[in-house]
Amino acid sequence: MSKSTSTRRDALRQIALALTAAGSAMELNAQQAEHVHSAAAADTKNGKYTAKVFNQHEWATLTRLSELVVPADARSGSAVEAGAPQFIDVLCSQNAELTVIFTGGISWFDAEMRKRAGKEFVAAAAAEQTAMLDAIVAAERTVREQSAEEGLFARAAQYKGFSGYTVKPGTDLAPGVFFFDWARKLIVDAYFTSPIGIKDVNYIGNQALSKYEVPQEAIDYAFNRSPFRIV
Amino acid sequence: MVVVGSGAGGGTTVRVLTEHGIKCALLEAGPMLNVGKEFKEHQMPYDVPHRGAEDGGAAYFGKGKPFGYFATTSGGWELDGEPYTVGAGSEFRWFRSRILGGRTNHYGRMSFRFSPYDFQPYSRDGLGFDWPVTYDEMSPWYDKAERFVGVTGANHNDLPSAPNGQFLKPPTPKVHELLVKKACDKMGVYCIPNRRAIVTEPMKGRIPCHYCGQCGRGCQTASAYSSSQVEIFPAMKSGKLTVFDNAMVREVLTDGNGKATGVVYIDKNTRREKVIRARAVVLAASACESARILLNSKTTEFPNGVANGSGVVGRFLMDTVGFGLSGYVPALEGMKHYNTDGFGGAHLYMPWWLWDKHNKLDFPRGYHIEIGGGYGLPGIGSFQGAARRAGYGQGIKDTARKEYGCSIGFAGRGEMIPNMHSYCEIDRNVVDRWGIPVLKFHFKWTDYEWKQARHMEKTFAEIITTMGGRVTGLSAAQREADGISTPGTIIHEVGTVRMGKDKRDSALNKYCQAHELKNLYVVDGGFFVSNPDKNPTLTINAFAWRAADHLAEEMRKGNV
Repeated sequence: MSKSTSTRRDALRQIALALTAAGSAMELNAQQAEHVHSAAAADTKNGKYTAKVFNQHEWATLTRLSELVVPADARSGSAVEAGAPQFIDVLCSQNAELTVIFTGGISWFDAEMRKRAGKEFVAAAAAEQTAMLDAIVAAERTVREQSAEEGLFARAAQYKGFSGYTVKPGTDLAPGVFFFDWARKLIVDAYFTSPIGIKDVNYIGNQALSKYEVPQEAIDYAFNRSPFRIV
Repeated sequence: MVVVGSGAGGGTTVRVLTEHGIKCALLEAGPMLNVGKEFKEHQMPYDVPHRGAEDGGAAYFGKGKPFGYFATTSGGWELDGEPYTVGAGSEFRWFRSRILGGRTNHYGRMSFRFSPYDFQPYSRDGLGFDWPVTYDEMSPWYDKAERFVGVTGANHNDLPSAPNGQFLKPPTPKVHELLVKKACDKMGVYCIPNRRAIVTEPMKGRIPCHYCGQCGRGCQTASAYSSSQVEIFPAMKSGKLTVFDNAMVREVLTDGNGKATGVVYIDKNTRREKVIRARAVVLAASACESARILLNSKTTEFPNGVANGSGVVGRFLMDTVGFGLSGYVPALEGMKHYNTDGFGGAHLYMPWWLWDKHNKLDFPRGYHIEIGGGYGLPGIGSFQGAARRAGYGQGIKDTARKEYGCSIGFAGRGEMIPNMHSYCEIDRNVVDRWGIPVLKFHFKWTDYEWKQARHMEKTFAEIITTMGGRVTGLSAAQREADGISTPGTIIHEVGTVRMGKDKRDSALNKYCQAHELKNLYVVDGGFFVSNPDKNPTLTINAFAWRAADHLAEEMRKGNV
């Protein structure tokens, strides 16, 4: 157990004990609450990671996909730096169904890229990779619109049994759409739940504050952009 | 004294009784609460390798904890080995907590005292039933409960739907809430400081809220009320209270002569049946669980179940009418971020504003509106909408950055009229893993509730557009099909052991005391006669306090 973990545990225990002991909770103050917060924040450290589930090729593919889904830019790092491949590997190591989705999906990506460019997905040029993802995203939109339409009419009583809206043919890219939806879901979640992603969107809460204030500057900004603007 | 259940009703009861010097045994069907282990309030998603998706990504397969990994629910819609059944053609979901403190460890802390008119709904519009008490009788108990629990708010002399109370200073409104208030001002809708059970100043050993905004995860400093930390732990220190955890009560024992003598429970650790004898029995196991215990307690003296000579136990089950709509507010785009967590819920809310206009509406009872919005703590799923719309690449970051914090949500919470089709009964064919016959639920929303939900929808859409936003929630056809909450899912199920003046159509008198057994009380949501648009917990606190005082007095007089 790391030192920071035990520090946090101690702080939590201290608070819990103090609360359990009638009358002594007054001794707690906002600084102690703050201590719990900062101890918790110091907990996680990235080290060298060895994949539990994926082989080297699969790992390289996941890493490339993570970069493509959430690339680095001037403001922040990519999903790789945010630990997306590790996150996926950890979950897959605990879930055979999820592992099949990812290993099967990666194989399908390779087969599809061989058809398109005669090589595996990771080995293809960036433009070939994005062309394939563009095709998948386009197919996904068609599938989504179609199923939304079907779902919508399936729920409305007057359309029970009516199949007139299910006329669009399926797509050969369906397995890719299915896998990419999973891959993107986990990559995006890994990114935005990481220190990098949380800093990127600039979430500044879950802190101990001694008082709560709302900046007048923010109020003025929003009101001036709203229909309630004072002209 | 034996008290069954440790939520708002049971917690209040043991605190008040031990203060009277009465020894109590408290039975909880779940484990003892370990605050340090159970409350994850200050964690960030990256503090755990699964980031909140849970082991194996259970949350992605719809098998995660209700309200997410970090929430301190300790229970759920389905409990292993403790099933319930639902009648053909009905839909009902039953949320059960299994831990000391029950649902008060994580509930929304919305604390609305009833209005004077809420106690006499039948006299007002001929629907439902009147309570056997008036507001004037209960108002001092609400005062006591608010002062003890610690409720924020403000007084408004012109607002019958939100009566004055004993309030702590409410926190300042957030930006999106000020826009909502402005829109509401234009529409003639009241928008006032929220009433939540959170202390904003030091109170009886509780330090003030530190605004981390994670109340649903449990509050380590007990600034947000929970019966476990605020009532039960201190009562345990008195030496008058013994807590039996993992104790699943099966039935109330009686002496064949109009008295309860104790309870039978299954010790979950040993799977052995045990008996606790007591001078009085107080049920606070939750409305439906208490009904289940009574109905399962059948004797020759009580062939329909203990305290059920009237046959109303299990009947007139109510939940709150729920409907939600979300919107996108471009005015908030590009605003300099600030900490919007506040005290964990909205700082403003909208009480029912048409209390005197029911003759112009096509539904009989009111609702209040809760507000959601702000820069929430990112978690699993937070940016999936942006990701799907952008497809992949830089667009995902750009969309997330632009749209983060610009969404607004409204949740309507409305009053349901009790009806004959909504009830629970014992399913004679199914027992749980403890051998206890389970509940079977039947439920039906009527036009009263559906029309109220349509009014919510129209109102929320109007607020959103008035503040310059656009509705992003459900499409019109989806709203038609799904436009009302699934029964049970607002987790305000009440009414199954109701009180009343007449023992022919009620189980309890106005002190929550059984008509048929002087030493049996029911102090959870079971005693509710109607279910106004006021979240039930504060009313349970107030009635349980009054019931405990009544019981102590009856004991002193030798009546119990």
